[in-house]
Amino acid sequence: GPTPRPDVHPLPPGTHLLYAQSGRIEHVPLEGYDMKKEEAKALLHLPEKVVIGVAYDCVEKMVYWTEITTPSISRANIQGGEPTPVIRSDIDSPEGITIDYLGRTMFWTDSMKDRIEVASLDGTQRKVIIDTDLVNPRAIIADPPNGYLYWADWNRDAPKIETSYMDGSNRRVLVKDDLGLPNGLTYDPQSAQLCWADAGTHKLECMNPGRGDRRQVLDGVQYPFGMATFGKNVYYTDWKRDAVVAVDRYAGKESDEFQPQKRTKLYGLAAAYSQCLQGQNYCAVN
Amino acid sequence: DATGGTSKDCQSCPCPSGATCAVVPKTREVVCTNCPAGTTGKRCELCDDGFFGDPLGQEGPVRACRACKCSDNIDPNAVGNCNRETGECLKCIYNTAGFFCDRCQDGFYGNALATNPSDKCKPCACSAFGTVNQQTSCSQVTGQCQCLPNVAERDCSVCEPGFYNLHSGNGCERCNCNPIGSTN
Repeated sequence: GPTPRPDVHPLPPGTHLLYAQSGRIEHVPLEGYDMKKEEAKALLHLPEKVVIGVAYDCVEKMVYWTEITTPSISRANIQGGEPTPVIRSDIDSPEGITIDYLGRTMFWTDSMKDRIEVASLDGTQRKVIIDTDLVNPRAIIADPPNGYLYWADWNRDAPKIETSYMDGSNRRVLVKDDLGLPNGLTYDPQSAQLCWADAGTHKLECMNPGRGDRRQVLDGVQYPFGMATFGKNVYYTDWKRDAVVAVDRYAGKESDEFQPQKRTKLYGLAAAYSQCLQGQNYCAVN
Repeated sequence: DATGGTSKDCQSCPCPSGATCAVVPKTREVVCTNCPAGTTGKRCELCDDGFFGDPLGQEGPVRACRACKCSDNIDPNAVGNCNRETGECLKCIYNTAGFFCDRCQDGFYGNALATNPSDKCKPCACSAFGTVNQQTSCSQVTGQCQCLPNVAERDCSVCEPGFYNLHSGNGCERCNCNPIGSTN
């Protein structure tokens, strides 16, 4: 029967995984590295929307998402705020989204305009930073303390993972060989590991982007889409399994799986930390 | 409102096959929360991404959700491949276009329905000098560009025999060679 306030359910304290599925953004709490599956719940009901990318701002405790039915970017406070659109025009197929929690900006990919854009978190001060050599840009990740941006393009003829400074300058290709459909991408600042999940090669791989020491973590992954990182684990959503899968990066093993009751594709995935990573800001780095 | 104390306080959810629902307090709007497989929306009236139909028959007869029908000219790794209600294809590839990705994009010609992607739609590549108004589109089927007077070939790139000066931009001019002094 009816429950109170179904549009917004405040998140309890702690770290959560946020994922998009069929007109909803849901959350599953993490206890240590374990997904507390029985406590998984809807965070936001967006019944007419197809949500693709999800990102989290640890400062204002807001969730951001991209949506393709009325192409837009919106946000809501995870403690019970109303969904509010922040980008609504000149956007065709927004997919990946990431937050620079230090610079207070967001970055997103648009797979029809084939570009990467940046804007303030309220949608103002918008700027295109990359608009060349993109075919199917999807995942995008910021590393604010070090000032880098990473993104993946699943172009079937020439898939690649690229990096640049956060203004789009100093762009270079990090990975282009032995890639298929690199849908998922995530970066762990503590271990300086960039990891990706590939729905074409069915591999999960990681590298230190500065060193270029690429290594395989796991093979036999089925159809990864979104990806997030938390400590030693990476998590990805899988289109074939309709699940969130946890992988221990160091053991190179799948450690857990959460399959929501609703059997349909899961899209974007983000980790909502209880607080921003400490001791990491521009001042600490300089 | 179960606090009213009458037997009519609770109403059954306006959702298909026993899906649960909830009320948005601000708007008093009822939203289904557990739609049948493949459907979504406030009343489970929409299809999931990658599918189209009218599962509740809101616009006419019931049309169950089916996978986007785009002539094999979409990529299954893409999102938003077709409109969830009408089925209109939104992300045609291989230079195809149209409601079902069933024709070539403007500026391309060939058979959008060919099995092999390399046989599908090729660029018209009309010669800018030999084509009327420097058009970039050509016949969908033959690929023939619209040539200026006395210009030949599919792409309007050469003068007809006995004509010269394609680069004039007005078509080719007659050579006017003296038949006695010319070799052929």
